[in-house]
Amino acid sequence: MGHWVSLPILAFAAILQSTFIPQIRIFGGQPDFVVLFVVCWTVLSRLEEGITWAFVGGILSDLLSAAPVGTSIVGLIFVVFLVERLKGQIVSINLFVLFGLTLIAVLIQMFTQMIIIALAGFTIRPLEQFFYVIVPSLAYNLAFIAPAYWFIRRIKRAFTPGRRTARRLVIDP
Amino acid sequence: MNAGTSFRRGWRANRTLFFFVSLFVAVGLVIASRTGVLRPLENVFATPLNAVSGFFQQLSVRFSLGLGDLAEFQTLQQRNVELEEALARLQSEVVDLREISNDYARLAELLDYTTQAQAQEFITADVIAVDQRSSLRSITVNRGTRDGIAPGMPVVTPQGLVGRVTEVGANAARVLLITDLSSFVSARLQTSRSEGTINGQVSGNLLMTFIPLGESATEGDIVLTSGLGGNFPPDLVVGQVTSVRTAELYQEAQVRSLINFDTLEIVLVMTNFQPIDLSIFGQADTGN
Repeated sequence: MGHWVSLPILAFAAILQSTFIPQIRIFGGQPDFVVLFVVCWTVLSRLEEGITWAFVGGILSDLLSAAPVGTSIVGLIFVVFLVERLKGQIVSINLFVLFGLTLIAVLIQMFTQMIIIALAGFTIRPLEQFFYVIVPSLAYNLAFIAPAYWFIRRIKRAFTPGRRTARRLVIDP
Repeated sequence: MNAGTSFRRGWRANRTLFFFVSLFVAVGLVIASRTGVLRPLENVFATPLNAVSGFFQQLSVRFSLGLGDLAEFQTLQQRNVELEEALARLQSEVVDLREISNDYARLAELLDYTTQAQAQEFITADVIAVDQRSSLRSITVNRGTRDGIAPGMPVVTPQGLVGRVTEVGANAARVLLITDLSSFVSARLQTSRSEGTINGQVSGNLLMTFIPLGESATEGDIVLTSGLGGNFPPDLVVGQVTSVRTAELYQEAQVRSLINFDTLEIVLVMTNFQPIDLSIFGQADTGN
């Protein structure tokens, strides 16, 4: 079920990303709900479901962007495998863990996108983009990771009746 | 347990293989998309997504403009008074200019001369998605090949140049904004006729470079397209100079577009302009 539920949720996130979110930008930064949802679902689920979410989210994001389809997927695959590897070594998921995962995920996603876009023939200015776009985006994503995790955990529970597979968010570290 | 299930479990257990297969598929998709192989499939999947996105885009722009209006109510009242004064002043100027325009029309008719501006044809398009991510600045509009849209067509609003069409589907097109880092527009200053190149910046602003030293470039100058290079028709408004700085070999001017690219709702696609492909001259040189 986790594979199928990704489609409406990520479609909503991708559409939000290209409609409402540009209205609340600070400098060049904005939250990336597709990345946040993929990170959260991977934390709460099996690797295969994380990969499904990465592909669905990446394709939907790229269909609404000028980037070639697949640009977002490459970074998300790195993110999913890294989260999967790290979560095996973590006892409980708390806010600091989520912040750490978000920090790594957003950096991986943005740098991967920049590299692919540069290889596709578009112009990039890494240093300027780091300060003007990536740093504000990091702040935004850190601010939104807790509500995103809460939302995804509720969805996860709703679609896995009778099973308490979702990991609780422990606020106190 | 059948053989298929055990095979699937086996290769899922091999995380490294799973990772590389996923990565291989993703990179394959990028290459296929970049080379255009996926274009028909992209069009099929993008159509419903664009329809929903268009609905949300209209909602979000209304919401954003409504919030902005509420926050700026007092400023808007003051601005209204100023604009009414300006309107009265401009109306008298319009009368003078209309006279000049009539003279010009008569003379142009005599010379059997039609300006390019008079011959422009437009199609109105709704903006259905905005991509203002770190490395790309583009919008998606709800017109495509069915409406006669083709790559290279300039996109404008009454406030000035927006960008140019880069990809076209059956009923949607992607427009690369002039604020994108990859966008270069040949431009000139309206008053001094100095030539330069407008380039998008990471901040979303515009920078006009290569203005010759010694040429007049001042704050408030209107920047127009020059038509050089054949990518855009001449005399489309690009923006207004906000500051000028002198580099070693040329001058640079910060230019502010009069368009708010985040809240674009409707744009005009210039359908009768064909970009000129200058690469043929390069090929001819190579051949010789």
